[in-house]
Amino acid sequence: MALFITKRLLMALATVLVVAVLAFLLVHAMPGSPGAVSLGAGASQEAIDEVNARLGWNDPLVVQFVRWLGDAVQGNLGTSLIDGRSVSDDLANRLPVTASLAAGATLLSGVLGVALGVTAAVRGGMVDRIVGGICGMAVALPAFWIGIIFVYLLAVQSSVFPATGYVPFEASPQDWALSLALPVITLAVGGAAFIARQTRASMLEALQQEHIRTLRATATPTWKILYVHALRYASLPIVAGIALQFIGLFGGSVIAEQLFAMPGLGQAVQTSVSTHDAPSVQGVVVIATVVVVAVNLVLELATKFLDPKLRAS
Amino acid sequence: MIPNVAPAPADSTAAAAAALPKSGPKAAFTKVSAHRLFASPGGVAGVLWLAALVVASLTAPLWLPFKTEDQDFTAVLSGPTAAHWLGTDELGRDLLSRIFASAAGTLGTSFITVIVAVGLGTILAMASAALGDRVEAVISRVTEIMMSVPGTVIILAVIGAVGTNIPVIMAILGILISAGIYRVMLGQAKSLQSQLYVDAAKVDGVSTLGISLRHVLPGLTNTIVVQSALIFAVGMLIQAGLAFIGFGPPIPQPSWGGMIQGASQHVYDAPWLMVPTGAVLALTVLAANAIGNALGKAPNAAASHLPSAAARRQRAKAVAAVGAAQVAAGTDAPPAKGQLSVRGLSVGVDGGPRLVTDVSFDVEQGTVLGLVGESGCGKTMTALSLLGLLPSGVVATGGQILWNGKNLAAATDREMEAIRGRDIALISQEPMRALDPMFTVGYQLTSAIRRLRKVGKAEARKEARSLLEKVGIVDAGRILKTYPHQISGGMAQRVAIALALSGRPRLLVADEPTTALDVTVQAEILSLLRSLVKDTGMSVVMVTHDLGVVADICDQVAVMYAGQVVENGKTANILDNPRHPYTLALLAADPHANHAADMPERLATISGQVPQPKDWPTGCRFMARCQFAGSACAAPVPLLPSGSEDGLVRCVKADELAVEGLEWVATEVPTHRLLDLTPTRTNVVEKDMA
Ligand code: SF4
Repeated sequence: MALFITKRLLMALATVLVVAVLAFLLVHAMPGSPGAVSLGAGASQEAIDEVNARLGWNDPLVVQFVRWLGDAVQGNLGTSLIDGRSVSDDLANRLPVTASLAAGATLLSGVLGVALGVTAAVRGGMVDRIVGGICGMAVALPAFWIGIIFVYLLAVQSSVFPATGYVPFEASPQDWALSLALPVITLAVGGAAFIARQTRASMLEALQQEHIRTLRATATPTWKILYVHALRYASLPIVAGIALQFIGLFGGSVIAEQLFAMPGLGQAVQTSVSTHDAPSVQGVVVIATVVVVAVNLVLELATKFLDPKLRAS
Repeated sequence: MIPNVAPAPADSTAAAAAALPKSGPKAAFTKVSAHRLFASPGGVAGVLWLAALVVASLTAPLWLPFKTEDQDFTAVLSGPTAAHWLGTDELGRDLLSRIFASAAGTLGTSFITVIVAVGLGTILAMASAALGDRVEAVISRVTEIMMSVPGTVIILAVIGAVGTNIPVIMAILGILISAGIYRVMLGQAKSLQSQLYVDAAKVDGVSTLGISLRHVLPGLTNTIVVQSALIFAVGMLIQAGLAFIGFGPPIPQPSWGGMIQGASQHVYDAPWLMVPTGAVLALTVLAANAIGNALGKAPNAAASHLPSAAARRQRAKAVAAVGAAQVAAGTDAPPAKGQLSVRGLSVGVDGGPRLVTDVSFDVEQGTVLGLVGESGCGKTMTALSLLGLLPSGVVATGGQILWNGKNLAAATDREMEAIRGRDIALISQEPMRALDPMFTVGYQLTSAIRRLRKVGKAEARKEARSLLEKVGIVDAGRILKTYPHQISGGMAQRVAIALALSGRPRLLVADEPTTALDVTVQAEILSLLRSLVKDTGMSVVMVTHDLGVVADICDQVAVMYAGQVVENGKTANILDNPRHPYTLALLAADPHANHAADMPERLATISGQVPQPKDWPTGCRFMARCQFAGSACAAPVPLLPSGSEDGLVRCVKADELAVEGLEWVATEVPTHRLLDLTPTRTNVVEKDMA
């Protein structure tokens, strides 16, 4: 187990490093030098060159990368070319927004998806077909379309929820929850459908295992076979599915943040890409990767812990 | 939003396995199951919609009523009208025209993602399969990394570098998704690579590349098509999403995502605007998914051991029918006797073929009955029906299972639940699979004891330990703490027997309990069962194909062939003096059943196979394989007294054979050999099966 954890940690580190290199190269391929971007249109070539020289833009790429990495390890992701603010500080403010969004959406998709998937597998027949149909629709409709409809129905028509904006938890926990509700639900529709399908398939597979027959032969009540034994057996692929879903929902938050005007990482990527703000783009890509990889690591260890075979070895 | 896709829908891995060719690459190739696609209404609808969309978008310039930029200021934000079938946007531009004018671009660029993702994923999978473990390890690591990064954010960074060049972005998206495709394809590619004909091709000197292209790729075709359809849908959704957040095609050019973004600005004053574009996008995604799902649907491979609620309702109906039919249909079998009495039992797939027909036997208290025959003869189905544990979709269709006078064939699920474990218990062939891998032996055993004996936790634990000792486990304390995968097969079977004993059953149904075990362990388990029968006075129905086991432990034997009992009687009578040619053949073919002294030089074989239920003839079902078949055998054969005590036999020539003392001959070509050696008996053995 210790060996397994070490291996996974190394893999996670490698992943982050690969993405960091990739982001670095992409940022350097962006049109416009940092000087040109930060000074804006109409700046003189000398002024641009001066800024570029100060930022070390003309140094060899390797030197630049090592310098960036050294700073990054110490928590300094550089300053924004647009407004001169610290990228680290900016992202530190934004991370909680996206994290609450992704975590909330993952949680909701997990609960809803497992419930629907188990119901479909257990009830079979008509119920199964209806759940299947709903899931098919849910994955076919784009999240942003669903989101707009929710805004229309729940915010505009009934004004239960605020249509846009984000209230920090510290300001008011209640408003925080209300401001998250619509974006979370929007993201969770597709996520829940995905997990419902995964759960249904895993449950059906679990019920095909021979030990289920042994359980029935020893008069185990049906509810116990389903919700203790089969669900326990199916839990491994389900948790793995939820882990994958988190990656998707973290990315999906770009759209939800745009749609609901939430100041999260997704919005930061979107604006910094549009404005060619190199340090911000690179910072947000790396931070997003670190979060996703870390959460996955935890969920993967949880999966392994659920499996007696791996736990024992 | 990207990894939503990466792990293709869970059912499709099963589909991949199920789609593996059985007969070679050619068969696999033709298996790209157009029929499966067109058998599903969803698949047909999907193909029609996509075809219509492609045709409409390609011919758009010919029929579209407006140009994409035409502005009609008299009808801004209008709903559907005669002039504008799908309405207009905030500049009075015709929605229908804009949707279809941008369709070709959307479909085409999504297809780029498909080609890159599926192409790269397939190539990587084939390379991993062909080039050995080292290469596979590297590729797998790399794809793992690709799957665990936030793809959406990276795609946005790419957009920063290359701008909104949609084809390039969709190609890079394809690279990210290819990791998921690789994961789906790898297992299948590896199993294709390990097929025998691939080894043969290697010996023939076909190059690695040649093998991949000629033998592996064709087998992957169906999966490729399935994944392509699913990725196509994903590509469209992601592309629309990017356009929605402002990274679509340059501004005047319409795109579905951009149009929805525009509509979202007017959701307050013109909600209708959301509908047409959203519906076309959703329908297109739905169509692609429907095609993928129709092609990827796994044929229902293994049946559930716990039928769904819907399936249980259906079964309850079948059971009620059996119960009702009972009153009317009296069987001509002898009256019930003994503790368990099966009369005229039939088992079949619900609405499908029969698996067991008109089976009767009796089991007296404290005796062991063997159900013998090759696999596919219905032994296991017969045994499972005693517990009401037939797999999902299989039902008892007629007859009676009288247990102490109560008909279990017509018992409801709830009634059976009271019988299972307490009256009748089960042990099965593969002890490892019979135990729940997720729970300790101790948990499984104590919860069964608590349930079946209604005792407290502490007492159950004590009882569990003593049960394990009773089945010959010395360090019971340790075994209780282990998981099934930590103990040996023999040990697991002892645990399974202890589990079966936890409700103090009076009948034990044992389905090939020794087949999966080592020879030495087999003997131990058999002697354990024998002593349990002696000590507890319970009876056993033992399913086996091994006549050695029968000789060892059974008091009575019922020989089954193709869903029927063909011979039935006391073990000693049947083994020493078999009356049915099939029993004769089984004995001649079994090395254990022959004593060392009179071991024949060659063991006999029974040529051919047990016929499938759909091929059962109306006459003797063994006819096609019988060395003694004659014209009389083509008529239905009843089960008649064999003359030795209470024995029964289903063969028109049973008496004749007994008198002549014929033996099943060890030869591939029975008629010839018999003709040569025993010319006087030709009239008996001649085959007139034409
Ligand atoms: S002799 Fe005829 S009836 Fe008897 S087993 Fe052979 S084919 Fe069947």
